[in-house]
Amino acid sequence: MNLEQNLKQLEDIAKKLESEELPLDEAITLFESGISLATSIRTALNEAKLRIETVIEQANNTFTIEPLDLDSD
Amino acid sequence: MESRHVFTVSELNTTARTALEQGIGPVWVQGEVTDLTKAPSGHLYFTLKDETSQLSAVRFKSRTSLLAPMTIEPGTIVLAQGMLTVYEPRGRYQFIVSILQPLGAGALQRAFEQLKRKLHEEGLFSQEAKQELPPIPQTIGIITSSQGAALRDVQSVLARRWPHVRLLLFPSAVQGESAPRELRQALDRALSFSTSTEPLDVLILTRGGGSAEDLAAFNDEALARALFACPIPLISAVGHEIDFSIADFVADRRAPTPSAAAEMAVPDRSEALGFVSSTTHRMQRQLLSRWREDFDAFRLHAGVCLLRSPQRRFETYEQRLDLGLSATLRNVTSHWQRKKSLSRHWTEILRLSDPALPLTRGYSLTVRQEDGRPLRSVAGCVAGEIIETRLADGRLISRVKEVSPDES
Repeated sequence: MNLEQNLKQLEDIAKKLESEELPLDEAITLFESGISLATSIRTALNEAKLRIETVIEQANNTFTIEPLDLDSD
Repeated sequence: MESRHVFTVSELNTTARTALEQGIGPVWVQGEVTDLTKAPSGHLYFTLKDETSQLSAVRFKSRTSLLAPMTIEPGTIVLAQGMLTVYEPRGRYQFIVSILQPLGAGALQRAFEQLKRKLHEEGLFSQEAKQELPPIPQTIGIITSSQGAALRDVQSVLARRWPHVRLLLFPSAVQGESAPRELRQALDRALSFSTSTEPLDVLILTRGGGSAEDLAAFNDEALARALFACPIPLISAVGHEIDFSIADFVADRRAPTPSAAAEMAVPDRSEALGFVSSTTHRMQRQLLSRWREDFDAFRLHAGVCLLRSPQRRFETYEQRLDLGLSATLRNVTSHWQRKKSLSRHWTEILRLSDPALPLTRGYSLTVRQEDGRPLRSVAGCVAGEIIETRLADGRLISRVKEVSPDES
Protein backbone atom coordinates (compact mmCIF):
# COMPACT_ATOMS: atom_id res chain seq x y z
CA MET A 1 0.00 0.00 0.00
CA ASN A 2 1.34 3.44 -0.79
CA LEU A 3 1.70 6.44 1.44
CA GLU A 4 -1.36 8.20 0.13
CA GLN A 5 -3.56 5.17 0.86
CA ASN A 6 -1.99 4.83 4.29
CA LEU A 7 -2.70 8.45 5.17
CA LYS A 8 -6.24 8.07 3.88
CA GLN A 9 -6.74 4.95 5.96
CA LEU A 10 -5.40 6.61 9.08
CA GLU A 11 -7.90 9.42 8.60
CA ASP A 12 -10.69 6.87 8.08
CA ILE A 13 -9.81 5.03 11.28
CA ALA A 14 -9.86 8.25 13.30
CA LYS A 15 -13.22 9.17 11.79
CA LYS A 16 -14.67 5.75 12.48
CA LEU A 17 -13.56 5.91 16.10
CA GLU A 18 -15.20 9.30 16.42
CA SER A 19 -18.43 8.64 14.64
CA GLU A 20 -19.44 5.07 15.39
CA GLU A 21 -20.61 3.48 18.62
CA LEU A 22 -18.27 0.52 18.52
CA PRO A 23 -18.03 -2.10 21.24
CA LEU A 24 -14.90 -1.35 23.26
CA ASP A 25 -13.14 -4.47 22.01
CA GLU A 26 -13.51 -3.34 18.41
CA ALA A 27 -12.60 0.20 19.27
CA ILE A 28 -9.35 -0.99 20.83
CA THR A 29 -8.52 -3.21 17.87
CA LEU A 30 -9.17 -0.30 15.53
CA PHE A 31 -7.08 1.98 17.71
CA GLU A 32 -4.20 -0.49 17.62
CA SER A 33 -4.25 -0.69 13.84
CA GLY A 34 -4.37 3.12 13.71
CA ILE A 35 -1.28 3.41 15.88
CA SER A 36 0.70 0.89 13.88
CA LEU A 37 -0.33 2.67 10.68
CA ALA A 38 0.80 6.00 12.15
CA THR A 39 4.14 4.47 13.08
CA SER A 40 4.75 3.04 9.63
CA ILE A 41 3.83 6.35 7.98
CA ARG A 42 6.25 8.20 10.24
CA THR A 43 8.98 5.73 9.41
CA ALA A 44 8.29 5.97 5.70
CA LEU A 45 8.36 9.76 5.77
CA ASN A 46 11.47 10.04 7.87
CA GLU A 47 13.52 7.39 6.15
CA ALA A 48 12.55 8.01 2.53
CA LYS A 49 15.34 8.91 0.15
CA LEU A 50 14.69 10.53 -3.19
CA ARG A 51 15.38 8.25 -6.15
CA ILE A 52 16.44 9.89 -9.41
CA GLU A 53 16.77 7.90 -12.61
CA THR A 54 17.15 8.56 -16.30
CA VAL A 55 14.77 6.88 -18.71
CA ILE A 56 16.33 5.86 -22.00
CA GLU A 57 14.34 4.42 -24.87
CA GLN A 58 16.02 1.40 -26.40
CA ALA A 59 13.48 0.64 -29.07
CA ASN A 60 9.82 1.38 -29.48
CA ASN A 61 8.27 1.12 -26.03
CA THR A 62 11.31 -0.58 -24.54
CA PHE A 63 12.95 1.47 -21.86
CA THR A 64 15.93 1.14 -19.62
CA ILE A 65 16.12 3.04 -16.36
CA GLU A 66 19.51 4.12 -15.13
CA PRO A 67 20.24 5.61 -11.73
CA LEU A 68 21.33 9.23 -11.93
CA ASP A 69 23.76 10.59 -9.40
CA LEU A 70 23.70 14.35 -9.63
CA ASP A 71 26.37 14.86 -7.03
CA SER A 72 29.10 12.97 -8.79
CA ASP A 73 28.98 14.44 -12.26
CA MET B 1 19.38 93.28 -63.56
CA GLU B 2 21.54 91.10 -61.41
CA SER B 3 22.81 88.04 -63.07
CA ARG B 4 21.65 84.88 -61.37
CA HIS B 5 24.11 82.24 -60.12
CA VAL B 6 23.85 79.22 -62.30
CA PHE B 7 24.94 75.99 -60.59
CA THR B 8 26.68 73.29 -62.41
CA VAL B 9 25.14 69.87 -61.75
CA SER B 10 28.14 68.91 -59.67
CA GLU B 11 27.91 72.07 -57.62
CA LEU B 12 24.24 71.52 -56.88
CA ASN B 13 24.75 67.91 -55.85
CA THR B 14 27.62 68.91 -53.60
CA THR B 15 25.50 71.65 -52.04
CA ALA B 16 22.66 69.19 -51.49
CA ARG B 17 25.05 66.65 -49.99
CA THR B 18 26.49 69.20 -47.57
CA ALA B 19 23.01 70.35 -46.62
CA LEU B 20 21.91 66.79 -45.86
CA GLU B 21 25.04 65.74 -44.03
CA GLN B 22 25.32 68.86 -41.91
CA GLY B 23 21.63 69.61 -41.63
CA ILE B 24 20.56 66.17 -40.40
CA GLY B 25 23.74 64.57 -39.09
CA PRO B 26 24.04 61.00 -37.84
CA VAL B 27 20.62 59.43 -37.13
CA TRP B 28 19.03 56.14 -36.23
CA VAL B 29 16.39 54.67 -38.50
CA GLN B 30 14.29 51.54 -38.21
CA GLY B 31 12.92 49.63 -41.18
CA GLU B 32 12.58 46.36 -43.00
CA VAL B 33 15.39 45.22 -45.29
CA THR B 34 14.46 44.57 -48.90
CA ASP B 35 16.26 44.43 -52.31
CA LEU B 36 19.41 43.20 -50.66
CA THR B 37 22.54 42.91 -52.80
CA LYS B 38 25.92 41.76 -51.65
CA ALA B 39 28.35 43.29 -54.16
CA PRO B 40 31.58 41.46 -55.07
CA SER B 41 33.41 44.38 -53.45
CA GLY B 42 31.88 43.28 -50.13
CA HIS B 43 29.61 46.31 -49.84
CA LEU B 44 26.03 45.69 -48.89
CA TYR B 45 23.30 47.51 -50.84
CA PHE B 46 19.72 47.37 -49.71
CA THR B 47 16.53 49.31 -49.34
CA LEU B 48 14.96 50.13 -46.00
CA LYS B 49 11.22 50.42 -46.10
CA ASP B 50 8.15 50.82 -43.99
CA GLU B 51 4.50 50.69 -45.07
CA THR B 52 4.60 53.79 -47.22
CA SER B 53 8.15 54.80 -47.97
CA GLN B 54 11.57 53.57 -49.03
CA LEU B 55 15.18 54.57 -48.51
CA SER B 56 18.29 53.39 -50.38
CA ALA B 57 21.02 52.29 -48.04
CA VAL B 58 24.54 51.04 -48.27
CA ARG B 59 26.90 49.54 -45.78
CA PHE B 60 30.50 49.62 -46.90
CA LYS B 61 32.79 46.71 -46.41
CA SER B 62 35.16 48.76 -44.27
CA ARG B 63 32.31 49.16 -41.78
CA THR B 64 31.24 45.54 -42.02
CA SER B 65 34.56 44.21 -40.92
CA LEU B 66 34.36 46.17 -37.70
CA LEU B 67 31.20 44.41 -36.64
CA ALA B 68 30.47 40.92 -35.49
CA PRO B 69 29.25 38.76 -38.36
CA MET B 70 25.51 38.81 -38.61
CA THR B 71 22.89 37.59 -40.96
CA ILE B 72 20.80 40.26 -42.58
CA GLU B 73 18.16 38.88 -44.84
CA PRO B 74 15.32 40.38 -46.80
CA GLY B 75 12.47 40.82 -44.35
CA THR B 76 14.69 41.41 -41.32
CA ILE B 77 13.67 44.38 -39.26
CA VAL B 78 16.79 46.38 -38.50
CA LEU B 79 17.86 49.37 -36.53
CA ALA B 80 20.50 51.33 -38.49
CA GLN B 81 22.64 54.26 -37.55
CA GLY B 82 24.15 56.34 -40.29
CA MET B 83 24.26 59.51 -42.32
CA LEU B 84 21.97 60.68 -45.06
CA THR B 85 23.99 61.81 -48.04
CA VAL B 86 23.95 62.28 -51.81
CA TYR B 87 25.73 59.93 -54.17
CA GLU B 88 26.90 62.65 -56.46
CA PRO B 89 27.73 60.69 -59.66
CA ARG B 90 24.08 59.63 -59.80
CA GLY B 91 22.46 62.51 -57.95
CA ARG B 92 20.66 60.06 -55.68
CA TYR B 93 20.41 60.39 -52.01
CA GLN B 94 21.16 57.44 -49.84
CA PHE B 95 21.74 56.36 -46.29
CA ILE B 96 25.26 55.31 -45.38
CA VAL B 97 25.01 52.83 -42.56
CA SER B 98 27.64 52.63 -39.87
CA ILE B 99 25.82 50.45 -37.28
CA LEU B 100 23.30 47.80 -38.25
CA GLN B 101 21.37 45.78 -35.69
CA PRO B 102 18.76 43.18 -36.52
CA LEU B 103 15.78 43.56 -34.17
CA GLY B 104 15.72 39.81 -33.60
CA ALA B 105 14.20 40.02 -30.15
CA GLY B 106 11.50 42.32 -31.40
CA ALA B 107 10.61 39.98 -34.24
CA LEU B 108 10.65 37.04 -31.83
CA GLN B 109 8.38 38.93 -29.49
CA ARG B 110 5.89 39.64 -32.29
CA ALA B 111 5.85 36.01 -33.37
CA PHE B 112 5.30 35.05 -29.72
CA GLU B 113 2.36 37.42 -29.35
CA GLN B 114 0.82 36.17 -32.61
CA LEU B 115 1.10 32.52 -31.62
CA LYS B 116 -0.19 33.27 -28.15
CA ARG B 117 -3.26 35.00 -29.56
CA LYS B 118 -3.89 32.20 -32.03
CA LEU B 119 -3.62 29.37 -29.48
CA HIS B 120 -5.68 31.35 -26.99
CA GLU B 121 -8.45 31.69 -29.55
CA GLU B 122 -8.27 27.97 -30.24
CA GLY B 123 -8.82 27.29 -26.55
CA LEU B 124 -5.44 25.75 -25.72
CA PHE B 125 -5.13 27.94 -22.63
CA SER B 126 -8.68 27.47 -21.38
CA GLN B 127 -9.14 26.86 -17.68
CA GLU B 128 -11.67 24.06 -18.31
CA ALA B 129 -9.00 22.02 -20.08
CA LYS B 130 -6.64 22.18 -17.09
CA GLN B 131 -6.15 19.05 -15.02
CA GLU B 132 -5.80 18.88 -11.25
CA LEU B 133 -2.46 17.77 -9.85
CA PRO B 134 -2.62 14.59 -7.76
CA PRO B 135 -2.31 15.31 -4.02
CA ILE B 136 0.47 12.79 -3.45
CA PRO B 137 2.36 11.65 -6.56
CA GLN B 138 4.52 8.53 -6.44
CA THR B 139 6.34 8.98 -9.73
CA ILE B 140 7.24 12.32 -11.28
CA GLY B 141 8.58 12.66 -14.81
CA ILE B 142 10.81 15.61 -15.59
CA ILE B 143 11.68 16.87 -19.05
CA THR B 144 14.80 19.01 -18.95
CA SER B 145 18.52 18.95 -19.59
CA SER B 146 20.51 16.45 -17.55
CA GLN B 147 23.21 19.11 -17.19
CA GLY B 148 21.11 22.10 -16.21
CA ALA B 149 20.59 23.85 -12.90
CA ALA B 150 16.84 23.21 -13.16
CA LEU B 151 17.23 19.47 -12.51
CA ARG B 152 19.37 20.13 -9.45
CA ASP B 153 16.91 22.68 -8.10
CA VAL B 154 14.01 20.25 -8.49
CA GLN B 155 16.05 17.47 -6.92
CA SER B 156 17.01 19.46 -3.83
CA VAL B 157 13.45 20.68 -3.20
CA LEU B 158 12.02 17.16 -3.54
CA ALA B 159 14.75 15.68 -1.33
CA ARG B 160 13.92 18.15 1.43
CA ARG B 161 10.17 18.41 1.04
CA TRP B 162 8.97 14.97 -0.06
CA PRO B 163 11.69 12.41 -0.75
CA HIS B 164 9.09 9.66 -0.83
CA VAL B 165 8.90 9.95 -4.60
CA ARG B 166 10.61 8.64 -7.70
CA LEU B 167 11.93 11.25 -10.13
CA LEU B 168 12.41 10.05 -13.69
CA LEU B 169 14.39 12.20 -16.10
CA PHE B 170 13.51 12.31 -19.78
CA PRO B 171 16.55 14.25 -21.00
CA SER B 172 16.27 16.85 -23.74
CA ALA B 173 18.13 19.86 -25.04
CA VAL B 174 16.41 22.97 -23.70
CA GLN B 175 17.89 25.55 -26.04
CA GLY B 176 19.20 25.77 -29.55
CA GLU B 177 17.89 24.69 -32.91
CA SER B 178 17.14 21.07 -32.05
CA ALA B 179 15.47 21.88 -28.73
CA PRO B 180 11.81 22.13 -29.87
CA ARG B 181 12.07 18.76 -31.62
CA GLU B 182 13.94 17.15 -28.73
CA LEU B 183 11.41 18.44 -26.23
CA ARG B 184 8.56 16.94 -28.26
CA GLN B 185 10.42 13.65 -28.50
CA ALA B 186 11.07 13.62 -24.76
CA LEU B 187 7.37 14.26 -24.18
CA ASP B 188 6.49 11.37 -26.50
CA ARG B 189 8.93 9.13 -24.64
CA ALA B 190 7.45 10.11 -21.30
CA LEU B 191 3.92 9.39 -22.52
CA SER B 192 4.74 6.01 -23.99
CA PHE B 193 6.78 5.12 -20.89
CA SER B 194 3.81 6.06 -18.72
CA THR B 195 1.47 3.89 -20.78
CA SER B 196 3.71 0.90 -21.30
CA THR B 197 6.00 0.70 -18.28
CA GLU B 198 5.08 2.74 -15.22
CA PRO B 199 2.45 5.43 -14.87
CA LEU B 200 3.74 8.96 -14.29
CA ASP B 201 1.56 10.94 -11.88
CA VAL B 202 2.93 14.35 -12.82
CA LEU B 203 5.18 15.76 -15.54
CA ILE B 204 7.44 18.76 -15.01
CA LEU B 205 8.72 20.61 -18.09
CA THR B 206 11.43 23.00 -17.07
CA ARG B 207 14.66 24.89 -17.63
CA GLY B 208 16.49 27.65 -15.80
CA GLY B 209 16.76 31.28 -16.79
CA GLY B 210 18.27 32.49 -20.06
CA SER B 211 17.92 35.00 -22.85
CA ALA B 212 14.74 35.27 -24.89
CA GLU B 213 16.46 33.23 -27.62
CA ASP B 214 17.42 30.55 -25.09
CA LEU B 215 13.83 30.19 -23.93
CA ALA B 216 12.39 30.27 -27.45
CA ALA B 217 12.19 26.47 -27.76
CA PHE B 218 9.33 26.54 -25.24
CA ASN B 219 7.34 28.80 -27.55
CA ASP B 220 7.20 26.19 -30.30
CA GLU B 221 3.72 25.69 -31.73
CA ALA B 222 3.98 21.94 -32.28
CA LEU B 223 5.27 21.53 -28.72
CA ALA B 224 2.33 23.58 -27.44
CA ARG B 225 -0.13 21.29 -29.20
CA ALA B 226 1.59 18.17 -27.91
CA LEU B 227 1.51 19.57 -24.36
CA PHE B 228 -2.16 20.39 -24.71
CA ALA B 229 -2.89 16.79 -25.69
CA CYS B 230 -0.80 15.40 -22.81
CA PRO B 231 -3.04 13.32 -20.51
CA ILE B 232 -0.61 13.52 -17.57
CA PRO B 233 -1.00 16.60 -15.33
CA LEU B 234 1.75 18.98 -16.39
CA ILE B 235 3.66 21.74 -14.63
CA SER B 236 5.67 24.14 -16.77
CA ALA B 237 8.47 26.24 -15.29
CA VAL B 238 10.53 28.02 -17.90
CA GLY B 239 13.15 30.58 -16.90
CA HIS B 240 12.60 33.01 -14.07
CA GLU B 241 9.56 34.60 -12.48
CA ILE B 242 9.36 37.26 -15.21
CA ASP B 243 9.58 34.86 -18.15
CA PHE B 244 6.38 33.57 -19.68
CA SER B 245 6.44 30.91 -22.39
CA ILE B 246 3.72 29.40 -24.55
CA ALA B 247 4.36 26.12 -22.70
CA ASP B 248 3.51 27.93 -19.44
CA PHE B 249 0.13 28.96 -20.81
CA VAL B 250 -0.76 25.50 -22.14
CA ALA B 251 0.38 23.57 -19.06
CA ASP B 252 -2.06 22.64 -16.30
CA ARG B 253 -0.02 24.73 -13.88
CA ARG B 254 2.69 27.33 -14.41
CA ALA B 255 5.45 27.66 -11.83
CA PRO B 256 7.68 30.75 -11.74
CA THR B 257 10.88 28.71 -11.25
CA PRO B 258 12.03 25.06 -11.35
CA SER B 259 12.13 24.98 -7.51
CA ALA B 260 8.57 26.30 -7.34
CA ALA B 261 7.48 23.55 -9.75
CA ALA B 262 8.89 20.94 -7.39
CA GLU B 263 7.09 22.52 -4.43
CA MET B 264 3.86 22.52 -6.40
CA ALA B 265 4.23 18.85 -7.32
CA VAL B 266 4.50 17.34 -3.84
CA PRO B 267 3.07 17.89 -0.36
CA ASP B 268 5.23 18.96 2.56
CA ARG B 269 6.70 16.18 4.67
CA SER B 270 6.51 18.18 7.91
CA GLU B 271 2.83 18.89 7.28
CA ALA B 272 2.17 15.19 6.75
CA LEU B 273 4.00 14.35 9.98
CA GLY B 274 1.89 16.98 11.75
CA PHE B 275 -1.22 15.35 10.36
CA VAL B 276 -0.11 11.94 11.65
CA SER B 277 0.49 13.40 15.12
CA SER B 278 -2.82 15.19 15.33
CA THR B 279 -4.70 12.15 14.04
CA THR B 280 -2.98 10.00 16.65
CA HIS B 281 -4.15 12.44 19.33
CA ARG B 282 -7.68 12.29 18.00
CA MET B 283 -7.75 8.50 18.20
CA GLN B 284 -6.31 8.55 21.67
CA ARG B 285 -8.84 11.07 22.96
CA GLN B 286 -11.66 9.15 21.38
CA LEU B 287 -10.67 5.82 22.87
CA LEU B 288 -10.33 7.30 26.34
CA SER B 289 -13.74 8.94 26.27
CA ARG B 290 -15.26 5.76 24.86
CA TRP B 291 -13.77 3.82 27.77
CA ARG B 292 -15.04 6.36 30.32
CA GLU B 293 -18.58 6.19 28.92
CA ASP B 294 -18.71 2.44 29.24
CA PHE B 295 -17.27 2.52 32.69
CA ASP B 296 -19.79 5.12 33.90
CA ALA B 297 -22.66 3.12 32.45
CA PHE B 298 -21.46 0.02 34.23
CA ARG B 299 -21.10 1.80 37.56
CA LEU B 300 -24.58 3.23 37.32
CA HIS B 301 -26.09 -0.13 36.50
CA ALA B 302 -24.18 -1.94 39.25
CA GLY B 303 -25.17 0.73 41.77
CA VAL B 304 -28.88 0.35 41.05
CA CYS B 305 -28.69 -3.43 41.50
CA LEU B 306 -26.78 -3.17 44.77
CA LEU B 307 -29.24 -0.69 46.22
CA ARG B 308 -32.21 -2.78 45.36
CA SER B 309 -30.97 -6.11 46.53
CA PRO B 310 -31.35 -5.57 50.30
CA GLN B 311 -34.95 -4.50 49.76
CA ARG B 312 -35.91 -7.92 48.48
CA ARG B 313 -38.17 -9.88 50.66
CA PHE B 314 -37.31 -13.31 49.56
CA GLU B 315 -34.08 -14.32 51.08
CA THR B 316 -33.43 -17.09 48.63
CA TYR B 317 -33.85 -14.69 45.76
CA GLU B 318 -31.81 -12.24 47.67
CA GLN B 319 -29.09 -14.74 48.19
CA ARG B 320 -29.14 -15.89 44.62
CA LEU B 321 -29.06 -12.39 43.46
CA ASP B 322 -26.17 -11.57 45.76
CA LEU B 323 -24.25 -14.54 44.57
CA GLY B 324 -25.00 -13.83 40.97
CA LEU B 325 -24.17 -10.21 41.36
CA SER B 326 -20.84 -10.73 43.00
CA ALA B 327 -19.89 -13.25 40.32
CA THR B 328 -20.92 -10.81 37.67
CA LEU B 329 -19.10 -8.04 39.44
CA ARG B 330 -15.96 -10.11 39.63
CA ASN B 331 -16.15 -10.99 35.95
CA VAL B 332 -16.96 -7.55 34.83
CA THR B 333 -14.41 -5.91 37.05
CA SER B 334 -11.61 -8.12 35.94
CA HIS B 335 -12.70 -7.66 32.34
CA TRP B 336 -12.55 -3.91 32.76
CA GLN B 337 -9.28 -4.02 34.55
CA ARG B 338 -7.78 -5.93 31.64
CA LYS B 339 -9.11 -3.42 29.18
CA LYS B 340 -8.05 -0.57 31.34
CA SER B 341 -4.47 -1.73 31.59
CA LEU B 342 -4.41 -2.39 27.84
CA SER B 343 -5.67 1.07 27.23
CA ARG B 344 -3.13 2.57 29.62
CA HIS B 345 -0.42 0.62 27.88
CA TRP B 346 -1.32 2.05 24.48
CA THR B 347 -1.91 5.50 25.84
CA GLU B 348 1.54 5.48 27.32
CA ILE B 349 3.11 4.25 24.09
CA LEU B 350 1.29 6.94 22.22
CA ARG B 351 2.26 9.62 24.64
CA LEU B 352 5.90 8.65 24.51
CA SER B 353 5.99 8.27 20.78
CA ASP B 354 4.66 11.70 20.09
CA PRO B 355 7.54 13.99 19.16
CA ALA B 356 5.38 17.06 19.76
CA LEU B 357 4.86 16.32 23.45
CA PRO B 358 8.27 17.47 24.71
CA LEU B 359 7.69 20.69 22.77
CA THR B 360 4.69 21.56 24.95
CA ARG B 361 6.90 21.24 28.01
CA GLY B 362 9.34 23.80 26.71
CA TYR B 363 11.88 21.62 24.97
CA SER B 364 12.51 22.38 21.34
CA LEU B 365 13.68 20.48 18.32
CA THR B 366 16.29 22.01 16.07
CA VAL B 367 16.75 20.79 12.55
CA ARG B 368 19.13 21.78 9.82
CA GLN B 369 16.98 23.59 7.30
CA GLU B 370 18.99 22.25 4.40
CA ASP B 371 17.94 18.63 4.90
CA GLY B 372 15.44 18.68 7.79
CA ARG B 373 17.62 16.38 9.89
CA PRO B 374 17.57 16.95 13.66
CA LEU B 375 20.72 18.49 15.11
CA ARG B 376 22.07 16.20 17.79
CA SER B 377 25.45 17.82 18.23
CA VAL B 378 27.12 21.13 17.55
CA ALA B 379 29.75 19.24 15.61
CA GLY B 380 29.18 19.66 11.91
CA CYS B 381 27.24 22.85 12.48
CA VAL B 382 28.86 25.96 11.05
CA ALA B 383 28.35 29.63 11.71
CA GLY B 384 26.12 31.25 9.14
CA GLU B 385 24.09 28.11 8.56
CA ILE B 386 20.29 28.35 8.63
CA ILE B 387 18.58 26.25 11.27
CA GLU B 388 14.96 25.72 12.11
CA THR B 389 13.75 25.44 15.69
CA ARG B 390 10.39 23.76 16.25
CA LEU B 391 8.41 24.85 19.26
CA ALA B 392 4.98 23.73 20.39
CA ASP B 393 3.16 26.37 18.39
CA GLY B 394 5.39 27.15 15.45
CA ARG B 395 8.93 27.39 14.26
CA LEU B 396 11.82 29.82 14.31
CA ILE B 397 14.21 30.14 11.41
CA SER B 398 17.62 31.35 12.57
CA ARG B 399 21.12 31.84 11.39
CA VAL B 400 23.87 30.31 13.51
CA LYS B 401 25.93 33.13 14.93
CA GLU B 402 28.52 31.10 16.72
CA VAL B 403 29.27 27.45 17.41
CA SER B 404 30.60 26.88 20.92
CA PRO B 405 30.91 23.26 22.04
CA ASP B 406 30.81 22.50 25.77
CA GLU B 407 34.19 22.03 27.38
CA SER B 408 34.55 18.48 28.56
